[in-house]
Amino acid sequence: MKGLFRAVALAAMVAGVTAAHAEDREYGILMKTLSNPFWGAMGMGVEDGAKEAGVPYFSQAAESDQAAEPQLNLCNTMLERNPAVMITAAINSTNLLPCLTAAQEKGIKVVDLDGNLDPDVLKQAGVNVTFHIGSDNVAAGGQGAEYLVGKLGKDAKGPVLVIEGLSGNITGQKRARGFADKLKELAPGLEVVASLPGDWDRGKAANIANDTLTAHPDLVAIFAANDGMALGAVESVYAAGKGDQVTIIGVDGNVDAVKSIKEGRLNASVAQLPYLVGKQAVENAKKALAGESVPEQIAVPTLVLTKEVLEAGTEPMLQFVK
Amino acid sequence: MIGETTVRPGLWTRAQRLTIERLQIRLESLVVLIALSVAMAVLSPYFLSVSNILNILLATSTIGILAIGATYVIGSGGLDLSIGSVMGLSGVVGAFAAVNLGVPSPLALLACIAAGTAAGAINGVLVTRALIPAFIVTLGMLGLARGFALVISDGRVIYGLPPLMVYMGQGRPFGIPMPVIILVLTAIIAHVVLAYSRFGRHTLAIGDSEGAARAAGIRVKRLRLTLYALSGGLAGLAGLVFMARVNSGDPTAGLNYELTAITAAIIGGTNLFGGRASILGTMIGALIMGVLQNGLNLLAVQPFYQQMAIGAVLILAVYIDQFQARKDARV
Repeated sequence: MKGLFRAVALAAMVAGVTAAHAEDREYGILMKTLSNPFWGAMGMGVEDGAKEAGVPYFSQAAESDQAAEPQLNLCNTMLERNPAVMITAAINSTNLLPCLTAAQEKGIKVVDLDGNLDPDVLKQAGVNVTFHIGSDNVAAGGQGAEYLVGKLGKDAKGPVLVIEGLSGNITGQKRARGFADKLKELAPGLEVVASLPGDWDRGKAANIANDTLTAHPDLVAIFAANDGMALGAVESVYAAGKGDQVTIIGVDGNVDAVKSIKEGRLNASVAQLPYLVGKQAVENAKKALAGESVPEQIAVPTLVLTKEVLEAGTEPMLQFVK
Repeated sequence: MIGETTVRPGLWTRAQRLTIERLQIRLESLVVLIALSVAMAVLSPYFLSVSNILNILLATSTIGILAIGATYVIGSGGLDLSIGSVMGLSGVVGAFAAVNLGVPSPLALLACIAAGTAAGAINGVLVTRALIPAFIVTLGMLGLARGFALVISDGRVIYGLPPLMVYMGQGRPFGIPMPVIILVLTAIIAHVVLAYSRFGRHTLAIGDSEGAARAAGIRVKRLRLTLYALSGGLAGLAGLVFMARVNSGDPTAGLNYELTAITAAIIGGTNLFGGRASILGTMIGALIMGVLQNGLNLLAVQPFYQQMAIGAVLILAVYIDQFQARKDARV
């Protein structure tokens, strides 16, 4: 009986605490998944941002970055807590629309975390997002091209391979396009001979790199739309004994990539700063709620990581690479 | 309780018999559902509201529809692992028909169900005519249907459904979400058919003992084929609802849903080896998972723990079942 009493008291306390939270209107944060380092770092940024800003928040994530319907269910549940703002990283550009429409009707502000929502689709659905925040993927691809041209020189010649993300995925397309366009502009002699979807898959990227090396033994560079695929390409290139001939560039700046760069295998990675994205999302949401004006598109900078940059350790933005 | 031999059975035993005889549900699962709901209502002030209860039903809709098919197939002593993939394929077929081919919405909606039924019928033919074990056939179909969905959609999500199709997932006649209406209607029909029709009795009979059923004149092969087609058709309906809810034909829709649907059926008291099944029981199983998930979401518990909680509930449910069976055997 005593045990039961304790359990009820505890339950009442928990209920009391949650109810108290609701009064100062929480920030609801809905992410894609927690099971990869990128989203983990973004979650840390959100947490630190909320602590510094002194706002109550709660964060939720779907079980995987393909769980479109479970994420919609989570979003609907989140509405029940009536948060002040919902900072959402949608799995695709339509899955959360019914929930975001309902949020808008309840007067909850909606923030697009990591730029997953398509402005055209939003307009069609009549959803007004307070702001979009994320890395500029076109610019990130461009930075990759700048690094390559800086290394090889603007008169360099030779075939280049681009490994895209999942076919049809907007993020991978933007990075690949940003790279190809910038490369054409800076060093027209470097020709993109193939641009193939690696489906974010390390093994698939390794095969693509292998096949392309067979077709173009004089390949000079590979740009992959994420680090996992770049690391797959690294394996194929080194297995073919062409590590010194081919410059390999990835995007993300994840832990594995940093390790590979330090070992001198992967040449560079255009690091996104998910920690900073999370942190700035909360800071800007606070501004918007206070009635201050916030730009509709907030681009968080990206940083080219190379062996030199990592070893020097003087770049101030390195502290956000987590 | 064990070994108690009173002439007049206790209140609990009488209640157990009553719920089984009248509603075809096990009292234990009903008690778990109620206890879980009370616990969540105490822990979260947001749990007990009409809109949240509708949320739970809405979140249960696709899994619930799949679980109905799973209940029939498992009840007949079969197994269908392909339903999650078939659901993804159906949604893509419907979206492709409407968006890329310009097929009118009602026909595109029918195409979803037709695609699912066709995939299910292929399973049925392979199981009954080619005599390949159901596990293998449906595991193969799991890959075939998922791959075909990716081929049709070129690996992309198909956007831009016409309004009528979106209404099937997002419309709210009388304030009730369409998927909930579809689930409830389907469940009622499926329950009545399984519990009271000849088709339902035969389904459970072949699950209990195929040999005895055949000796009694039941056309086992034809019935099994129909059951796999039914399971596929229901997966098609679930695919339709999913597509409409997320307003797109997503080739990755329903990934691993087959396991969740089977879990719902088992928690609801379906015997994994056939012979005993009830749709109301399965709905309670699905709701137990729905309430658990919703409550943990409201309490902002990490999703990793939710998966653990559902795994534990599954094992516990089957344990209670075994415990009950042993007790019955002793009495």
